Order: sequence, then C-alpha cells, then structure tokens
Amino acid sequence: MTVERAIANQTEARIRQEQAHESAENSKFGFIVFLLSETMIFLGLFAGYITYKTTTTDWYPAGVTGLETREPLMNTIVLVSSSFVIYVAERYLHDRKLWGFRIFLLATMAMGGYFLWGQAVEWRGLTFGFTDGLFGGTFYLLTGFHGLHVLTGILLQSLMLGRSFIPGNYESGMFGVEATSLFWHFVDVIWIVLYTLIYVWQ
Amino acid sequence: MANISLEPTPSISAQPYPGAPDNWRRFFTFSTDHKVIGIQYIVTSFFFFLVGGTFAMIMRGELITPDADLVDRTVYNALFTMHGSVMLFLWTFPVLVGIGNYLVPLMIGARDMAFPRLNAVSFWMIPIVGILMMVSFLVPGGASQSGWWAYPPVSIQNPTGNLINGQFLWLLAVALSGISSIMGAVNFVTTIFKMRAPGMTWFRTPAFVWSVLAAQLIQLYGLPVLTAGAVMLLSDLSFGTSFFAPERGGNPILYQHFFWFYSHPAVYVMVLPAFGMFSEILPVHARKPLFGYRVVAVSSILITLISGVVWVHHMYASATPGWMRMLFMVTTMLVAVPSGIKVFAWVATIWGGKIRLTTPMLFALGGIINWVFAGVTGIFLGSVPIDIHVNNTYFVVGHFHYVLYGVIVFGIFGGIYHWFPKITGRMYYEGLGKLHFVLTFAGTFLIFLPMHPLGLMGMPRRVASYDPEFAYWNVVASLGGFLLGMATLPFILNMVSAWIRGEPAGNNPWRAYGLEWLTSSPPPVENFEEIPTVISPPYGYGQDQPLIATNEHQEATQVP
Amino acid sequence: MKLRAIILISIMAVLDGLLSVWMAQQSYSWFPPQASAEAKLYDQLFSIFVGLGTFIWVGVMVPIFYSLIFHRAAKYDASDGPAIAGSTTLEVIWTLIPVVIVLSLSLVSYRTYDKMGTQGPETLVHLHAPHLMESAYAEPVEREPEEPASVETNPVESVDVTAKQWAWVFHYPEQDVTSTELHLPVDRRVRLVLRSEDVLHGFYVPAFRVKQDVVPNHTIDFEFTPTRTGTYRLRDSMYSGAYFAANQSNVVVQSPQGYQQWLAMAASQTPQPAYNQAADEYSQNNNNVAVRGWKRVVPAPPPVVNYAPRYAEEPESSDDPENHLEG
Ligand code: HEA
Ligand code: HEA
Ligand code: CUA
Ligand SMILES: [Cu+2]
Repeated sequence: MTVERAIANQTEARIRQEQAHESAENSKFGFIVFLLSETMIFLGLFAGYITYKTTTTDWYPAGVTGLETREPLMNTIVLVSSSFVIYVAERYLHDRKLWGFRIFLLATMAMGGYFLWGQAVEWRGLTFGFTDGLFGGTFYLLTGFHGLHVLTGILLQSLMLGRSFIPGNYESGMFGVEATSLFWHFVDVIWIVLYTLIYVWQ
Repeated sequence: MANISLEPTPSISAQPYPGAPDNWRRFFTFSTDHKVIGIQYIVTSFFFFLVGGTFAMIMRGELITPDADLVDRTVYNALFTMHGSVMLFLWTFPVLVGIGNYLVPLMIGARDMAFPRLNAVSFWMIPIVGILMMVSFLVPGGASQSGWWAYPPVSIQNPTGNLINGQFLWLLAVALSGISSIMGAVNFVTTIFKMRAPGMTWFRTPAFVWSVLAAQLIQLYGLPVLTAGAVMLLSDLSFGTSFFAPERGGNPILYQHFFWFYSHPAVYVMVLPAFGMFSEILPVHARKPLFGYRVVAVSSILITLISGVVWVHHMYASATPGWMRMLFMVTTMLVAVPSGIKVFAWVATIWGGKIRLTTPMLFALGGIINWVFAGVTGIFLGSVPIDIHVNNTYFVVGHFHYVLYGVIVFGIFGGIYHWFPKITGRMYYEGLGKLHFVLTFAGTFLIFLPMHPLGLMGMPRRVASYDPEFAYWNVVASLGGFLLGMATLPFILNMVSAWIRGEPAGNNPWRAYGLEWLTSSPPPVENFEEIPTVISPPYGYGQDQPLIATNEHQEATQVP
Repeated sequence: MKLRAIILISIMAVLDGLLSVWMAQQSYSWFPPQASAEAKLYDQLFSIFVGLGTFIWVGVMVPIFYSLIFHRAAKYDASDGPAIAGSTTLEVIWTLIPVVIVLSLSLVSYRTYDKMGTQGPETLVHLHAPHLMESAYAEPVEREPEEPASVETNPVESVDVTAKQWAWVFHYPEQDVTSTELHLPVDRRVRLVLRSEDVLHGFYVPAFRVKQDVVPNHTIDFEFTPTRTGTYRLRDSMYSGAYFAANQSNVVVQSPQGYQQWLAMAASQTPQPAYNQAADEYSQNNNNVAVRGWKRVVPAPPPVVNYAPRYAEEPESSDDPENHLEG
C-alpha cells in the first residue's frame, strides 16, 4: 500500500511538472491570441480614420494646415530601434547574462520614455484639441490610445527588470520577458502604420 | 504501475465534489474550478433572464392596448433597451460561456481551463455589469433609452446634461462585458487548441467543442471593433468630440458599421453553441452517430468566416449605397449553406434511429423546428427589397425572437436538462420537464408568430403606442407572452427540487459516448483521475468501439 | 422497398409543392393595400420567397415528424440504431442545392430592387466616396411593360421632406406650400428630398412598401410611384427617441386634378401652427399614464404650415385609412 502511494505521489509530481511546462506554453499561445485580438481594435480605429479622412470636407480645424513631421520622425526612429534593443536584451537573457539583459532592458525603457516625452511635447505644441472636429478627435484618440500601450509596455518592462533581481526567477521559464518583448514589437508595428496614416498621408 | 490508477488515489477522491449541495458556499467564492465557475455563470445569468423577462412582461402589458397608457413613453423606451441589453449581455452570452466552461474541459479531457484565475475574473465581472445596468434605472434621466444598438445621435442627446447618465452607465457595462468576453475567448481558444487529451485529434473533438471554438473566434475578431466604436461614442457623449455627432460634422452611419461589424457576428456567437448542443443531444437520444460529423464540425468554422462579411444587412435602409446593399445581400444569403448542412445532418441523424423523447431531446427538436422557420425569415430579410419594407418592423422582432428564444434558449434548456445529471449527480423530473417543454413551445409560437403579420402590415418596432389596426395580433402576442413567462416556473421548480432531492443519476444515465460521461457525476476537482487517451471519433453509437484506451493500450502507446 | 420509398418521397414533394403554391398565393393578403408600383413588385417577390420558404420548412418537417412517429425506440429496447456515420453524396447534394437556391434568390431580388430604383440620382453622386457609388445605378430604370401606360417615369413632382423630433414637414418648392400631410398625385413618379434636422428618422409608408432612413447632414433623394388613390399612414421607422411612436403622418394620394386643387387651396392659406402630438403630450406632462417617466428631449415646437389635416386634433382617428378617399 505505502509503496503504491509513493509511486502515485511520484507520478503526480511528474504530472505537476509537465503541467507547469504546459502552462507556460499555453500562456504564450494565449498571449498571442490576445495580441491578435488587440490588433482588431487598432484596425477598427484605422478604418474609422481612413473613412473620416476620405469623406470629410473640412478635415483640418480652422488655422491648422497639417502636422509637423520632423520631431515625430525622430520619435519613430527611436521607437522602432528600441524593438531591436529589447531583442538584444532577450538574447542576453537566453545566454543567462543577466547584467546585459538588464542594461538593454533599461535602454529600451529609456527609448520608450523618450518617445512618450516627445509625444507629450508635440501634444503641448499643437493648436487644436480633442474636440476640434474629426481631425482633432481621431488624432488624439489614435495617438493617445497608442501612447497608453507604450506606457503599458514600459510598465511591463520595469516589472521584468525588478523581477530579474529575484534569485531563481528564470528557473521555470521566461514567459514574462517573452511576452513583454512581443508586446513591445506589437506596439512598434502599430506605430509604423499609425505614423504612415497620420503623418505621412497628409 | 499499471494497477495504480485502477483504484482512485485517495488524495483526489477526497476532494469535495463541486456540485454537491453541502458545499454551496463555494459558489460565492473566487473559485478557479471551471465547474464551479460554469455553475456560477449559469445561475447568475438565469437570474438576469428573469429580470429581462420581467421587463418583457411589462412591455407586453403596455402593448396589449394601442395607447401608451401603462408606462410613460420614456419608461417604455428604457424597458426595451434594457430588455434587449440584459437578455443579450447578461443572459445569453454569459449562460453560454457558463455551459461551455463546464463542458469543454470535460469533453476534451482536460483538468481545467487553460487560465483558471483569468476565468474567475471573467466571471466576476458579470455581476458588476449587472449592477451597473440595474443602477442606471436610478440615476436622473433614467436608464439608457436608445435601444440596444445605442445609435447616435439619439444615444448622445443626454437631456439631463449630467455626466453620469443612463447611457454612460450602459456603455460602461457593455465595455466591461466586452472585456470579460475577450478574456473568456482567449481562455477558450487556448484551452481548445492546447489542452485536448492525447489522441483527441481535431476530427475526434466533439461538435460542441468545435462550435464553442467557432463562436469564441468571433468574439476575438469582432468585439475589439465594437470597443473602438464604443470608445468613440463615449467620448462623443461625455467629452464633446464629434465622431458621430452630425451637428458637429460627425458621421452617425459610421457608428452603425462599427456596431454591426461585431453585433451581427455576435448572433452566431450565441447560436453556434446552441447548434453544438443539438449535435450532442440528438445522437444520444436517437442512438445514432452524428450524421456527417466532420462536415458539421467544419460548417461551424464556415459560419464564423461568412458571418464576418454580412453586417450591412442591418443597414439596408440606412444611407448605404446600392452596390453595398447588393454585395451584402449575396454574402448574407450564403449563410444558409452551412446552416443547411447542419439542419440536414440533424435530420439524417435522427432518421432511422431509436428515438427517445426525453426532455432534452424535445427541446433540441423544438429548437431545430424553430431554427428552420427563423432561418427562412432570415433569408427573407437578407433580400434587400424585401427587407426595405419590413426593416424596423415587428417582422424583424419576430425573426430574431424565433432564433434568440426559439433556438438559443431552447438549446440552453435542452443542454441544461441533458447535462443536469452530470452536473448535479441527480435526475430531473421528466414529467415537469415535458410540461415545461409544452408550455414553452406553445408560448413561443403564440407570442412570436403574430409578430410576423404585424410587421408585414407595417407596425414599427420600439413603439409604446400603435394604430388600432394592429390591436388584434398584439393581444394574441401579449397573451402568448404571459404564457411564455409562466412556462419558466415548472423549469425553476424542476431544477431546484431535483438538485436538492432528485434520484441519484449515476455517472452515465443516458449511456452516452463522450469523455464527460466517463468520470463521476458530479465530476471531481480536476475532472479525471487519469487523463484518458482517445482512440476513436465521437458518437460511436452502434459501433462497439471504445472511446478511450484502456490502461494496457495506454501503456502500449506510450512505449516508443 | 426502394420503389416504395421513391413513390412516397415523390408524393410528399408534390404535396409540399402544392402547399407552397397555395401559401405563395395567400401571401398577397398579408399586406396593407398595394398602393404603389413598388408595392406590386414587392408583393410578387415576397410571394416567391413565401413559396420557397414554405417548401423548405415543410420539406424539413416531414422527415423529422416521420422519424418521430416511426423510429421511436420501444420501451425496453436498449439497443443502438444503425451506425451510419454519413454519406458524401447526400452531403454534396445538400450543400449544392442551397447554393443554387440562394444565388437565384439573390438574382431575383437584385432585379426587383433594380426595377424599384428608389434611390434617386442625387443620392448616387452625393458627397461620400462618389467614385464608389456609380456602378449599380448607372443604367436607366427600366419599367415593367405591363404597367399602366399613364405612369410617368420622369420624376416630375419633387417634395422636400423634413423630419425632426417629432414632426414631419412637407414642402412643395414650386408653390411654396408647407404641410404636415403629404399629398401626392396618383400614377406619377415622385421624388422626395429627405432631410433630418436632428437625429436619424425613417421615411416609411407600408402601403408603398418603401422605406429610407433620413440622416442628418445628408440629403437623400428617394423615388417611387403611387398608383392608388387614398389615404395611407406614414410612419417614422428609425427609432428617434421619446416620442418616436407618435411621429406619424398621412400620405394622401389624389387624382392629378384633386392634387392641383389641393395645392392651390393650400397656397392660399396663411401658415399657422399645426397640431403636433409630441408637443401636445409634452405640454400635458403625461398625466395619463400609470408610471411617470424621466426628463426627455424637448419636442420641437409645432411646425408652422399652410396646411394641416382637418382631423389632426384626434390622432389615430381613422380605423381604416384607405377609406378616406380624397380628390
Ligand atoms: C442568434 C441569432 C440570430 C441568427 C442565428 C440569425 C440568423 C440569420 N439572420 Fe438574423 N437577426 C438576429 C438574430 C439572428 N439572426 C437579430 C437579433 C436581429 C435584429 C437585431 C436588431 O435589429 O435588434 C436580426 C436581424 C436580421 C436582419 C436585419 C433585419 C433588419 O433589421 O431589417 C437580417 C437581414 O438580412 C437577418 C438575416 C439573417 C439570416 C440570413 C440568418 C441566417 O443565419 C439563417 C440561415 C438559416 C437557414 C436559411 C435555415 C436552415 C437552412 C436550410 C434548411 C437550408 C435550405 C435553405 C435555403 C436554401 C434558404 N437577421
Ligand atoms: C435572448 C434574447 C431575448 C429573449 C430571451 C427575449 C425574450 C422575450 N422578448 Fe425580447 N428582445 C430582445 C431579446 C430577447 N427577448 C432584443 C435584443 C430586443 C430588441 C431590443 C431593442 O429594440 O433595442 C427585444 C425586443 C422585444 C420586443 C420589442 C420591443 C419593441 O420593439 O418595442 C418585445 C415585444 O414584445 C419583446 C418581447 C419578449 C418576450 C415576451 C420575451 C419572453 O421570451 C420572455 C419570457 C419571460 C420570462 C422568461 C420571465 C418570466 C418571469 C416571470 C414570470 C416573473 C417571475 C419573476 C421572478 C421569479 C423574480 N422583446
Ligand atoms: Cu456614403 Cu453617406
Ligand atoms: Cu445580422
């Protein structure tokens, strides 16, 4: 009886371990599904923007002729390159080089921060507001909604940074970091489309 | 090692049974057991079914006479808005998520959903949605009165001028319900993709699981788009933007596209699980395999795909251009093809079987009869010129109640009866069940059929008063409505008394095939003592084929 | 055995067909009077759908009920039915037939819609995405040969229709007449110019089987041809808020002479505020209901018009609108 119980316990332990592994797999799958779904919100907003832009007669509010593209382009370059930086961070983690990981993660956060700051400066300098016609509405809605995502990404990264100091944190896998990185790439791709729609297509 | 699993390991069977009445307290906790959550969903949403039904009873009371004499027009408008919203967002969606939650892990041989905690969070948002909706009756200006579509400009008119108004709370509630649904959908899709038992290939997965997958995929692509539209509407209502406000240059028609891009597919989110339940119930009670199982399974996915490109059929009479009307007419009608595949397969399934008219079987058959009728009127509506006359009349109301009540609620009742012995370990009372069915079927016919002639005669929907020429059919409908309301009572009586002191049912009272019937009733926490290995397709009636490997087999397949 | 089945099925199909034809004929009686050229087309199309729908519904019901009667398990029979898992031939058949049916239905619907041609030219070239909207309407409206020769196909009568919360106002630009009742000449193609002052409304005359939402900031052209004199109900069909149900009016179709006389008569009258049910109810503060309501959008003041119908003081007065023949 006791022998059987011991074997049973052993089997159960094995199952638990397999389950832990499986659950990391599931989390990753689930996260990708979630991101795909999230993409649809942006597609919806983009479709709205395109419809408004092609059908509205007084697109720009009075006194506005278009958007300044220079600073936003800088911003774009910084954000897009940060995608590579976080990739490097991830590689370091794979090689178990924690300090390299932390430094590059910090760099990503700094670049994200720079982007948000640049966005804030731009918003402050604009002469139109959220309620100024369809252009004002869609502009702030799109950039604001994307900005929220950038902020979320940075928060996730600081969480990952903090957790990297917990000993043994990566023993059961590094799903958190992978998800954060995936999310960051997502935010990036969305921005490229957004930038094209709002700044390039004027 | 082979003989270990033959006797249940004490540690597992000592776990409390989630369905047992003695630990009902679990249902009020943040439990992460998918079975507890499933029951939480079903019971909570049934409460809201009664709430929404009570609204409907007041509406039918108003409509029994032509004049607006029972409630003020604004109250009537709030009633139908909240009736529609409660019935959809607090009854149909959550109850189906609940049934799926309970059954999917059992049917695919998993111990739980992929993300149990997320699951619990999704559920606990539902009561909050309910509270928000109910509280909106108490704020100045009353509950939302813009219909369940919340079309602008009416929805952004806000006569009280308050920031917190009925429409605001409504939007908040719908947004929360959307978040809950997305989390649920991620959970279901991951569970179904990643956690099927060994050997359960796609074409060994039960049709119900397929239909849940098809439905949840719709949530994933549709809901976010509605969210985008809802955010814009909220910002028009509360922050003064002009997205949909014509007086400020906005475009109210665009909102309609956002709304129906989701809300049309949403009707298939609701009906697909009902189809899935029909596909499970019929083979069991006709004792024949599901006819053309593979095609039936795939047709669910086909519906998912087609339903994404038909939304303009709700906007034929809006300011849509002719080419758009024609294009969407063709796509709309094509939905008849996968729907027909299912219907014909069901008919062929019962054909030549050994039919037993148990309560679940009756509800499934009743649902199919109603479905063919409602589907045919759906095809009528799909035709642009025909829709132009009956759009926004009671013909449409008749069409969709035939589906929403006659198919989906029938399916839900059928499903609850069918799996009641599994969920509670006890048998419901067959006599009460049959009484419930007869009253429900008659009530559905009496209230919803007269709506069709009313619509053809030109009675608009959403009116508290109407011309006297419509009085006759409205009286019939109201009486039928009251009958349908009463029909709920035997169901409640049946469920409550059978759960408390029904006959013990045994693990598999229907002698049904399917993993969920191989475990005990009610199933233990974590469902299976050992995850089964599936070796044959579902619905093996008359084939003498075991569904899962016995232990010797399992050993054999595990050794490389 | 095989032969018996075939004969049985054939008999059922014939019976089903006869029933469907009968239903299709019945369907003409389910409608309000057929008062426009569009209504005639509509009822024909509807009849086709009813016939086919009946055929399909009954066709599915017969085997279901046959099974329910003849394939019931005996009381103590615990055995299973035959293990038939499917049949590719059958599945292909019942996929293809519906495809053919729905494509044909789309085609006949398209042709009917095209003949109705209710979307006027102005709508087709309107502001939004004009490049997308040309195709379906470029071709001229072709009329049924069987239609009365007297029907003018060129829209001669053009009336401005304004919807608001909660009133309908009709303006005849040539005579500068305003009215809260829509008067139209019989057998003439009319063109309405639909506008809304506030929210969405819907222009809907059941006897004409035509409907079009009225959208603020959007001018919509709408055409049809009344073919029967009489008084018909015009209803707001797109939910428009508190007094939506009360936002109704009448359409009076008259002989051309009667119509001209009416125009002349109306033009000679000085404009005065018309009866308006919404404004009236609002001013009475709804004392006649059991449950009081909430704050609502204030109805627009009663429209000031040349002509308001005589019986307007008593709303919903006519039990049988088509008996009020005028002109
Ligand atoms: C779950 C709910 C549900 C389901 C499944 C359906 C199914 C269908 N619906 Fe319905 N519908 C609603 C719920 C639903 N609907 C609701 C809620 C509204 C109104 C919302 C509102 O305005 O508030 C609505 C409104 C609505 C409209 C808009 C009407 C208007 O507002 O003017 C239209 C128009 O095309 C439509 C069409 C269809 C079609 C073509 C189907 C098809 O899926 C039906 C297909 C099925 C069959 C055809 C029967 C089986 C097939 C066979 C037996 C094969 C042979 C048949 C043929 C060859 C024809 N529906
Ligand atoms: C799943 C969805 C669903 C369901 C089940 C129902 C069920 C019913 N519906 Fe509803 N309905 C909608 C969804 C649904 N409806 C939607 C989406 C709309 C459109 C809203 C809009 O236009 O915006 C609508 C609109 C609608 C209208 C049109 C209103 C209008 O346009 O003016 C009417 C009118 O008769 C109606 C009636 C009914 C009736 C009588 C029932 C009956 O089946 C209800 C039966 C009653 C009960 C089940 C409750 C019984 C309760 C008791 C007897 C009291 C006991 C109480 C306790 C024990 C606490 N509904
Ligand atoms: Cu296209 Cu308005
Ligand atoms: Cu639809």
